[in-house]
Amino acid sequence: MIHSYIRPRKKSAITQETLLMFTFFGITLLMLLLTYVFLAYKDYSFVRDAQAISKERALLEKNLVKMKNEIVYIEKQKQFSQTIYTQNSVLKDSIANLFDLVPQRITLSQAKLLENGLVLYGITPNKDVYNFMLQAPLRSIFHRTYSSFYPAQNGWLRFVSTNYSDEEELDNED
Amino acid sequence: MKINISRQHIYLLLVSFFLFLFVVIFSFAVLIPEGKEYRIKKADLNKELKELRKYQNFSDETYEVLKNLQSENRHIITAFDTIFDIKRFEKQHKSFFTSLSISKIEPVAPEEGFSVYEVNTSSQISSPSNFYEFLDAVNKSDWIIDINFPIDFKREGELIKSSFTMKVYYNSSDTNASASESSAK
Repeated sequence: MIHSYIRPRKKSAITQETLLMFTFFGITLLMLLLTYVFLAYKDYSFVRDAQAISKERALLEKNLVKMKNEIVYIEKQKQFSQTIYTQNSVLKDSIANLFDLVPQRITLSQAKLLENGLVLYGITPNKDVYNFMLQAPLRSIFHRTYSSFYPAQNGWLRFVSTNYSDEEELDNED
Repeated sequence: MKINISRQHIYLLLVSFFLFLFVVIFSFAVLIPEGKEYRIKKADLNKELKELRKYQNFSDETYEVLKNLQSENRHIITAFDTIFDIKRFEKQHKSFFTSLSISKIEPVAPEEGFSVYEVNTSSQISSPSNFYEFLDAVNKSDWIIDINFPIDFKREGELIKSSFTMKVYYNSSDTNASASESSAK
């Protein structure tokens, strides 16, 4: 039995306004939650990155210490080898100077180069030649010079010249 | 005056009020502190990144210095690593002498952190200039060699007999280990 001439309209618990409001609040909540998730994820990734950075830095520091040690050691090797090379060059010059020092008229039979001295064995026509041409320059180089002579078979003189530099005086000169 | 508010509107107002309350509490209790933390951590990370880049640059520069030093001093580094070989030495330096003989190697006390062994040498040369050339060649040889006193030159007929001691320097085992470690890197 029909009591009305119009058709009954459907009634629901959620009206259009209510739906609009729920949608609005839903979007708001979703945005808030998404913001929170974004921040939380970023915090986590920052912590992870910071850990990776500190690991990388520790590795760099370790390598840097190794490299620095190696640089110091190579510098030491370089410096030490240069000293050796210089010593050898100085030795070469010293021997060359020694042989240049000996005049034509004197013949050396033996030369002993010591750390702080020089011993020469040879033959000289006479003492004067030795004294003027060999002993004089030797005296200017060494602090103490001793000479001894004994006759050779051909009338010349064999000599032994022992020359020393005092280490204390060398240190003072340095 | 009677205010006519339907029950539905009251429900709506209540829901709106609780949602508003939730938003306010959530924002102040969670979002804002989290945001602050985010900002601080970001600044810290940027700072650390900046420092890391500085460190990396410094490390790269140091590596460059090391490589240059290694390439400039390749001969010296190799010489300190090379173990003295009598036969090889004789082969390389025979040309300076009429005869050359080298006695056995004897280790002596380390100097300046380097291991040292002494080698006694006796030889014959035709002229002192041969010895000068030998001294020049020693400085370019495969080892770090110091010609040591006493040096004895003695005339033997037309030749000069020379005898001298050589000190050969090489890396001690500890430094060798550290050097190989770093080169492996």
